[in-house]
Amino acid sequence: MTITRRNVLLGATATAALLPVAGRAQTTEVVIGVTYPFSGASAQQGVDAQKAYETALEVINNKYDFDLPLANDEGLAGLGGAKIRLVYADHQGDPQKGRAEAERLITQEKVSAIVGTYQSAVAVTVSQTCERYQIPFVSADNSSPSLHTRGLKFFFRAAPHDEMFSKAMFDFYDAMKKKGTKIETLALFHEDTIFGTDSANAQTKLANALGYKIVADIKYRANSPSLSAEVQQLKVANADVLMPSSYTTDGILLVKTMAELGYKPNAIVAQAAGFSEKALYDAVGDKLEGVITRGSFSLDLAAKRPMVGKINAMFKEKSGKDLNDNTSREFMALIVLADAINRAKSTEGEKIRAALAATEIPGEQTIMPWKRVKFDEMGQNNDADPVLLQYIGGKFVTISPPQAAVAEAVWPMK
Amino acid sequence: MTAETIIQSLASGLLMGLLYGLIAVGLALIFGLMDVVNFAHGEFLMIAMYATFFLFAFLAVDPLLAAPLVAAALFVFGAAVYLLIVRFAVRAKANAGMVQIFSTFGLAIVMRGLAQYFFTPDYRSVTHSYLGGKTVSVAGIFLPVPQLAGAAVSVAAFVGLYFFINRTDFGRALEATREDAGAVALVGIDKNRVFALGWGLGAALVGLAGAIMAIFFYIYPDVGASFALIAYVTVALGGFGSVFGAFAGGIVVGLVEASTALILPPSLKSVGIYAVYLLVVFIRPRGLFGSI
Repeated sequence: MTITRRNVLLGATATAALLPVAGRAQTTEVVIGVTYPFSGASAQQGVDAQKAYETALEVINNKYDFDLPLANDEGLAGLGGAKIRLVYADHQGDPQKGRAEAERLITQEKVSAIVGTYQSAVAVTVSQTCERYQIPFVSADNSSPSLHTRGLKFFFRAAPHDEMFSKAMFDFYDAMKKKGTKIETLALFHEDTIFGTDSANAQTKLANALGYKIVADIKYRANSPSLSAEVQQLKVANADVLMPSSYTTDGILLVKTMAELGYKPNAIVAQAAGFSEKALYDAVGDKLEGVITRGSFSLDLAAKRPMVGKINAMFKEKSGKDLNDNTSREFMALIVLADAINRAKSTEGEKIRAALAATEIPGEQTIMPWKRVKFDEMGQNNDADPVLLQYIGGKFVTISPPQAAVAEAVWPMK
Repeated sequence: MTAETIIQSLASGLLMGLLYGLIAVGLALIFGLMDVVNFAHGEFLMIAMYATFFLFAFLAVDPLLAAPLVAAALFVFGAAVYLLIVRFAVRAKANAGMVQIFSTFGLAIVMRGLAQYFFTPDYRSVTHSYLGGKTVSVAGIFLPVPQLAGAAVSVAAFVGLYFFINRTDFGRALEATREDAGAVALVGIDKNRVFALGWGLGAALVGLAGAIMAIFFYIYPDVGASFALIAYVTVALGGFGSVFGAFAGGIVVGLVEASTALILPPSLKSVGIYAVYLLVVFIRPRGLFGSI
């Protein structure tokens, strides 16, 4: 589909003309745009995300006995019980398609806000488009730290970014060192889009500040047909910890190639993404006993907070999978956004933005191990504490930070 | 950089290069035969990998045993693509070139879409096989067994292809049709039959490559895309239409890719391939072994 400049202008004018009317009229439904890769290399992420949003939608639009915002009544009480309707758009992992789809959602589908997008590179263009139309963009599962520092007023992210995630990793290294584990050298392995680049930048900054030596910093091309040259360099560097920032495809190939070239690091501490995905463990889980990944979610929380287990069961019924790092953040993003729309009592972009900025949800009313949801002036929630999970015996166990840990880390990995 | 690192990189590059050659040869064969570039070549590879995966998942057939079956299935598929689509596309009265491009390009998109619909976009892997995960180590150089097998299959396929084209009646008919598709009709060779068999053969070869690759690569609907791009460069480098150019081109691409990664950051390793390609275009535009 092509969008001409004139269509966009027409659409924008029409939206501007209709908005005040829509605001005054009795609202029966609130439309929210959800944009993900539903085709292309990361299509599975989009498919899983859709199930996570459907789960959140069910919780919001129906009555449940959960201590979550909006769970206890049907629809949005602030808008006379209006229901939320989601419109999905496929950006195929391409920033330019993301921009076009965001325009279409805003001008033609008349969405009140957009959530997305999995790839950080796409979040860049989608959030810029939202800013131009003064429509809030809630970043559910993008982790690049540079996203919230661009001075956007309509950008909000409840989940941690990769500086926070990486900080958690280095806190963990420091703690392990105190116990006598030798951790001096690190090898970074990251893909070449904004996700991998930002992640590696954050890790380099922390390593330099905290006195860890980076002995290999390997940037590779995403979806490469072969990673043997890259793995060979990692093997030669032989760092104490290998730190990959990779999506699923490259993650699988990395682990397979490492086995083929006889490279076995003492520890792998991954920047989630592919290393949170079931597909990766289905393919190469036998080679990953003891791998550590950062996460924003931990199923161990279900022991303390029973609703986490119940919501996981609802999600599993739809998707056949447990909630993971990505799908849990997607679920929470819609809850946080709906809570703001409910308090805004309006579907106008500016009013929702103001309500989002005033958000204050205590950690117990989320499914995450977070302290609370409260946005700073850049739209980032700094109270979202990440966790580190270790893959032991076919499931993830929380090993850090101490207040969330249920087990000691196994080091070195098998 | 130690000698070991250099030898390891070149060995990995050579093994990968032989596989690139096997992937590309079907493309070269079809182009040489009838001047049609098959833009669905990557998707042929993709369905071969899925076929191998499903044989493994449902019937527990090892990819190595599945390879001949997959090649046979792809032969039928390739011939069918010619008879049902390409045969009509080449008859176009106007803009024949465009019609050919769009017909195979459209086929690629349809195949990808159907794969996503029926197989889901999830990443599949053959989790255990005779060769999977095995590695031999010679003096500190690691050679993964699946890639060694791929290289062996590739060499065998090229030797077989050489004898097939040069020593059999069908091979001669293939060469003759390639020379002059109009004239062969006068001596009683059915052009359509030769073309259909050529497409079948080209698809069977990529089927063979797909079956071996399924041992060590992940499988999903878009998996063909990155290999197809390399296949096009391989064919252009080796010489359009030259089957043995594809073999040499594959090896060159594999070695250049591996050695670029030794010198430049690995994210730029494909730069080496394209630089060599541009150099070839500059010095010898028809490709290394091109006869056109």
